[in-house]
Amino acid sequence: MPNSREHLLPAVDPSYCKGCARCIDACVHNCIEMGNEINPLTGLTPVVLHLENCSHCGLCVTACPEPYGLHMDSVTDDYSVVTKDTFTGITRTVPKAVTIPDIRVPINPGKPILIKGTYASSIGAVLAGCRHFYGYPITPSTEGAELMAKLLPNLDGIFIQAVSEVAAINMLYGTGGAGLPCMTFTSSPGFSLMLEGISYMIGAEVPSVVVNIMRGGPGLGNIAPEQSDIKLVCRGLGHGNTHAIVLAPATPQEMLDFTMLAFELTFKYRNPVILIGDGYLGQITGKVSLPDYMIRPGIPDWAVYGDADHRGNLIASIDITEADLEARNIRLNEKYARMAEAEQRFDEFYCDDAEILLVAMNTPAQMAKGAVQQLRSEGIQVGLFRPVTAWPFPVNGLISRLKQIRQIVVVEASNGQLEDEIRLALSKAGYSDVPPIEHVRRFGGILPQTHEIVEKIHLLEGAAV
Amino acid sequence: MSAFYSTFTRHSHGEGLKGHSTHYCPGCGHGLAHKFLAESIDELGIQDRTVAISPVGCSVFLYYYMDVGNSQAAHGRAPAVAIGHKMANPESVVISYQGDGDLASIGLAEIVHAAQIGLPISVIFINNAIYGMTGGQMAPTTLPGMKTMTSPYGRNNFMGMPLKMAEMIAQMDSPIYVERVALFDSKQRIRAKKAIKKALQLQVENKGFSFVEVLAECPTHLHLPPADAQEWVKNSMVPVYPLGVKKDVEPTQAFDFKKPDFTPEKLLGLIGATSDEVNRFAEGFPQHIDPLDISLKLAGSGGDGAQTAALLITRTAINEGYDSTHIPSYGPESRGGTSYADVHIAKMEVLSPSAPDPHILIAFNQPSMDKFAGKVRKGGIIIGDSTVIHTLPAVDSSVKIVMVPMSDIASELGKLMVKNIVALGALQAATDLFPENSFLNAVKQGLKDKKDLYPLNVEAFHRGMEAALKSEKV
Repeated sequence: MPNSREHLLPAVDPSYCKGCARCIDACVHNCIEMGNEINPLTGLTPVVLHLENCSHCGLCVTACPEPYGLHMDSVTDDYSVVTKDTFTGITRTVPKAVTIPDIRVPINPGKPILIKGTYASSIGAVLAGCRHFYGYPITPSTEGAELMAKLLPNLDGIFIQAVSEVAAINMLYGTGGAGLPCMTFTSSPGFSLMLEGISYMIGAEVPSVVVNIMRGGPGLGNIAPEQSDIKLVCRGLGHGNTHAIVLAPATPQEMLDFTMLAFELTFKYRNPVILIGDGYLGQITGKVSLPDYMIRPGIPDWAVYGDADHRGNLIASIDITEADLEARNIRLNEKYARMAEAEQRFDEFYCDDAEILLVAMNTPAQMAKGAVQQLRSEGIQVGLFRPVTAWPFPVNGLISRLKQIRQIVVVEASNGQLEDEIRLALSKAGYSDVPPIEHVRRFGGILPQTHEIVEKIHLLEGAAV
Repeated sequence: MSAFYSTFTRHSHGEGLKGHSTHYCPGCGHGLAHKFLAESIDELGIQDRTVAISPVGCSVFLYYYMDVGNSQAAHGRAPAVAIGHKMANPESVVISYQGDGDLASIGLAEIVHAAQIGLPISVIFINNAIYGMTGGQMAPTTLPGMKTMTSPYGRNNFMGMPLKMAEMIAQMDSPIYVERVALFDSKQRIRAKKAIKKALQLQVENKGFSFVEVLAECPTHLHLPPADAQEWVKNSMVPVYPLGVKKDVEPTQAFDFKKPDFTPEKLLGLIGATSDEVNRFAEGFPQHIDPLDISLKLAGSGGDGAQTAALLITRTAINEGYDSTHIPSYGPESRGGTSYADVHIAKMEVLSPSAPDPHILIAFNQPSMDKFAGKVRKGGIIIGDSTVIHTLPAVDSSVKIVMVPMSDIASELGKLMVKNIVALGALQAATDLFPENSFLNAVKQGLKDKKDLYPLNVEAFHRGMEAALKSEKV
């Protein structure tokens, strides 16, 4: 009776049946029963079909949890699948995306504007093409978020105040994963909460910019300036083998410039970029010149943008197979090495003939600059080496200066976190002829002042104050 | 047809049977939920614009199977990641797929907030009353008395009662559609498929946040054969988690998403960038105060206007072509506390922005005078509000003190708020930091939206000048 078999009937390849028996209950005609034989490929016992009474209702197919399990198919008289190749054998091609590049749009920068550090960073972000901001209010970073809340709706962008820093960083994971520039502002306690998400971003190679206006800690600490997250940003970006480029501006102008740079670098390396400021730098109002361009962002080929071109993409940090995860780590490590090679940045002030070298970042570097000027007027040959990238530490630049240096003095608002980076960088570089390292350190929201730095040098030089 | 990959190449590189079978245990509810999702995506024709968020839990590998854009989230954070994707491309259809440990335990804050803000995403929540991937531990959804690896004597009153997510989400104002469905028989499965499809449809129509809770079987950790697990869900879970539509409303407002704007003119306008020439009035840097760097401290209570006055000084200095910074220091109170501002004006570049030993102090009240008068450096100037400051602390004989009844003058002018402008006038007259017109120009810039207040400010400034000159003569 071949004609009666022209109907489509339920069919299953026994290798794709796990024998859960949902289909048995579903069939009102008792067409399906548990088999007796263990499938040698799966070690499971698949169901057996007897379709004499099948009414083609399809309820058994609806009951099957396996994508390539029970399905309606053309079958032979013994109910084996004849068209297997058209079911499990087809290959649908996934479109291959191409990168839509950023466009650099010239603008008339006009006259310098007068803004505070956090505002300068926000303006840098919108100039760099950022139209998505997610954040949670925390002093002393909040003004940056507030300006974004004002600007972005007018630019048809998105500002969302998240339920926490944890949620905020994961919203960045989504928008960054979709390939668009996005950012957040936070401060130390909030940054701690974001570390989980930053680890995922680094693992999944998701770009975004995190501005951390560091404040006094540990714990709730206070809202005054500190630099005590250097350890976190350089050595502790969540779990796993993580690194990110860390930019350390020292003026409102650099808050704008480095925020724009951060967006460039985060997409260049598909890795989050952290910008660290201190509470002073967030609050300080100063003169800021605008650049002569802005960015209209494109969409990278790897993005999960939610359109046909990018359908084949995946943003994930999981590799369940050890070999795969080791391969991901090696790939990331190679990327860190490329960043360490290409992105070391620093600035020097009166270093050409310096014998004493101050090393400082952020606002303490401004204090140190003042000290250099004062000490130079006294004839003391002192200079300032200012790391612009806390990671990668600009060790090559530092080493090229050290030959002439007889004393290093590290100025920082932390308990030696910058000094640790210096010592570690020199040690890893194999530089052994390190001059003595002294320091000026303040904590708890107090920055080292110019006169303290001057006094320290006087003391070291044996001069009467 | 469905939205499953033709081969699961991410599942053990698609080798052997894994290329076409899931990693789920026999009888697991995830497979069915995946299937209904894949069919719905296909039927709605949204495969190319769908983004599926894989959670942490057994369904972490959702991305092995769904031939859509895929993003894998941290534990519990899928709704936040979903919002990030949806906002990046509002044309996309974003699905947050989560289990009960992910959504109802570690990710409670994220799901409640996502539901509360109500953006159009679709959440599929698999409730099987237990942790699957970590090996059968207690979930927030575990039934009372139920034994798990971490409730070996049964869930008791130390472990709380089951968390009813669908009811919880439904009682919030923003979500538009919440339903709880099950998988234990044909009728439930048809309803489950319908609910999942509806949750996606509502997003396609840009209507709002939808949430489908699926009561699912975990035969492995219930230690039951698959068929018995279905019975268990029906007989034990359903009485605790009643099935049905919990909420289905029309949104009060549809979402109107726009493409971000990248026109330079609009951006520059918003930033306040201007190419207008600023007039200069000063002959040069006020070297009579300091050859390179002048520091000022303005101190008072919140509301005295110290910060605004400080900003006006900074603006004046920058208009004159010098570098200048202002940094505030507030007390912990937002209003009414102490409010100090440090200002630097430098011929070349401001280095340290703080003013621990200022050249000039403007004190708006007695505590500020007491606290900072002694810090003013030799040859410096103190300007105080004589209306409220009655005791002058001992200072170095080289320090000049100029007392001006700032509050009285401002009251006479009918607006106490202009007290800080009176102070600026006094500053100009007492120090000749910058010319009068230079300050007034900055005041004018500062009042750009409130130009009608300018004459009053000019008068306040002049009264401050006069009072300072009078004070010096005394």
